[in-house]
Amino acid sequence: MKPPGSLYRRLLVWLLLPLMALGALMLIQAYLDARKTADRAFDRLLEAATLAIAEQVQWQNERLWLDLPPAALEMLATDAEERVFYALYDGDGEFITGNARLPGDPRGDAESGDTLYYRDIDWHGLDLRQGIRRTRLEDWSLRERFEVRVGHTREGRQVLTLSLLRGNLAYIAAMAGVAIIVLLLAVRSALAPLTRLRRAIRARDPRTLAPLELSLPRELAELRETLNELLARMRRVRANQERFIGDASHQLRTPLAGLSARAELALRQDDPQAWHDALKAMQATSASTARLAVQLLSLTRLNNPEATPELRRLDLNVVSRMAVRNAWNTCHRDGIDLGMEVPDSPVMAAGVDWQLEEALGNLIDNSRRYGAKRITVRTLPNPPTLEVEDDGPGIPADKRLLVLRPFYRGRDGGEGSGLGLAIVDGIARTHQARLTLREGQDGRGLRVILRFPGDRQ
Amino acid sequence: MIKPLILAFALAWLGLPAVANESLRFPATNEDGPPPRSLTIHGALDLPYVEPVLEDFHRRYPDIELHYRNFTTLALHQHFLDDEQEKADVMISSAMPWQYRLANDGHAQPLETPAASAWPSWARWRQELFGLTFEPIVIVYRHELAEQFGAVASHAELLSLLERRYKELRNRVVTYDPARSGAGYTYAIEEARLSPRYWDLIAALGRADAALVGTTGEMLEGLAEGRYWLGYNLLGSYARDFVEEHPQLEMVIPSDYALVTQRLAFIPRKAPHPESARLFLDYLLSEAGQRVIGERTSLGTVHPSLEGPGTAGEMRTRLGDALRPIRLGPGLLATLDDLKREALLSRWQREFQRWSAIPFP
Repeated sequence: MKPPGSLYRRLLVWLLLPLMALGALMLIQAYLDARKTADRAFDRLLEAATLAIAEQVQWQNERLWLDLPPAALEMLATDAEERVFYALYDGDGEFITGNARLPGDPRGDAESGDTLYYRDIDWHGLDLRQGIRRTRLEDWSLRERFEVRVGHTREGRQVLTLSLLRGNLAYIAAMAGVAIIVLLLAVRSALAPLTRLRRAIRARDPRTLAPLELSLPRELAELRETLNELLARMRRVRANQERFIGDASHQLRTPLAGLSARAELALRQDDPQAWHDALKAMQATSASTARLAVQLLSLTRLNNPEATPELRRLDLNVVSRMAVRNAWNTCHRDGIDLGMEVPDSPVMAAGVDWQLEEALGNLIDNSRRYGAKRITVRTLPNPPTLEVEDDGPGIPADKRLLVLRPFYRGRDGGEGSGLGLAIVDGIARTHQARLTLREGQDGRGLRVILRFPGDRQ
Repeated sequence: MIKPLILAFALAWLGLPAVANESLRFPATNEDGPPPRSLTIHGALDLPYVEPVLEDFHRRYPDIELHYRNFTTLALHQHFLDDEQEKADVMISSAMPWQYRLANDGHAQPLETPAASAWPSWARWRQELFGLTFEPIVIVYRHELAEQFGAVASHAELLSLLERRYKELRNRVVTYDPARSGAGYTYAIEEARLSPRYWDLIAALGRADAALVGTTGEMLEGLAEGRYWLGYNLLGSYARDFVEEHPQLEMVIPSDYALVTQRLAFIPRKAPHPESARLFLDYLLSEAGQRVIGERTSLGTVHPSLEGPGTAGEMRTRLGDALRPIRLGPGLLATLDDLKREALLSRWQREFQRWSAIPFP
């Protein structure tokens, strides 16, 4: 797993990298500019020197003649003590005089005849800047062409380039500094609401589930709304839990108080028959209380979102058969007609067998307690479905949702705990099955349908 | 590359009876110490001038085997450019333009030592070329001249004397022939740059039929013998000793301006023993080396902390702005230009004969 990066760092990196690339580009540009400026300044020296030499070129003794002015060479050397080279060539490219046979102007003759050309050359391992002036004699009759070539090393230019660059460098560094400071402040202020949100969450009472109330920028407001929705759901869940706990304790207290009262009453009497009756009644009450406790336990287990049992493929027919077999004796004793309708082929669905058996058991038990005389357990393929139908009093359509709540007794009378349908509902949710309550055939009784989400193969 | 014209010009360089292929050897004497090192010095500097320096250096570094070879300035230059020949570790020569040209062409390597960096900038070029000595160009005259016409202390006085007394001084004045002497030619170029009145002086010399010779030695001999009464443009370092031995002579450093030449030294880039070469050149630039030059030879010293006669500092306080050391700069390259030489010499001839073209008044 990648280490969780910091937003701050990520922002800084993505803003600073382009900034640094830009800075590097500016540096290169500044260097090139400085070099160009230095070259322009120093090329004036080459221009002046070639001019000073060209002015001294004459025609004498039937050939080109140069009375070399030492100052023309002196001006090519600045404080940086450059090496200086010069040469005079005639129009045919013949060497006349000079201290170095410098290369000439590679271009052709210009219209005007006078040209000045600068370039960088490598001459015997020395980096030279060369200036070449091509011109002609301004004599009465002679218009002899010639070329003055001078060159010097780059030390003076480098010194000027560096000093220009230093000036620019200070400017660029100041700009970069300002940019970085502004960037840091901007990123910090952009991330400040996040810090506020974190503080607001941290400062909350851990027991409160009230919505967060603080003004945030749009991006974070969405996060706040999502958080508030989650809190609202948690509030509802907790309200349900609190009511459940209240109901459960109430339900347990009533039979326990009954037991206690009955025992007290029996103790005041001496008649063993009375004791026997009381013990019998207490046994029935405690059995039903124990059953209530078991149901509460299984409901709690079903409602625990972290304990999701693994679903396996199983045959609903087998499950129905087991449930009917378990309930058979009780129903038979009460004279209830418990029947089963299953297709010949197995009806496969993903589920947990003991949970489905319990759901069916609860439904059968429910029907029995509310006075049904006939109970039918049914399985249907496509989609896989479990049904329990009875001919009891049924539930009015407007109360069918309410009865799924724990401890709600939709049907008056009867001795149920009020948990049976809630447990069935929990099991249905675990199996992602749909629980529907309908009236039975002929509009009487109750039909509870558990429809599974199809064969996933 | 070097034309016959320059050859002739160079043969007469400085006009000293330079005997080629003299040499000095100092074997390494430090047997117990580190393995002997070697150092080859090629110079155009006569043995009496170089020997005290080499001795002192050898005393300080006995493990360095010294080999000094003396050449004429031309032979030294040619020897250097000849790839077949033995390579030098240090080059010393009074032919400033040639030394400058070799350094300018990139034949020298820089010396980065405190002494080299502190060396006066007017006597140094790029940490590569160093002026070791300080030798003014002087006027020498016989006492008869001063007695008859008054002392000569400057170029202006010399010019006015020649213009007034050219008849009496006919054939009594001597100077360099720039066509025969490289040194004379160099001085002519430098003086022509300093002032156009130089040409008046040449014309006046021509009018007095001044004798033209090739060397300082010839001038000194002629002065001592009494053939000449006044010599113009003599190398001060040689004249100083000679005048001390000849009381009838007087040496004057002109007070209006005086050229100063220097012996230039550099370490060739291809020096076979650059370590020893750096030690030696650094020694020459050190106070100790300069002191030996100043005290045991008549060559003037440059080092700013040395004082006394013959030092640059002493001469500067005495003569001030009048001293004009030949600038170590690209202007020296013009001196070596063939056409420049022809142009200057023809001008010089023309000016020298300015008065002979006009009928005698």
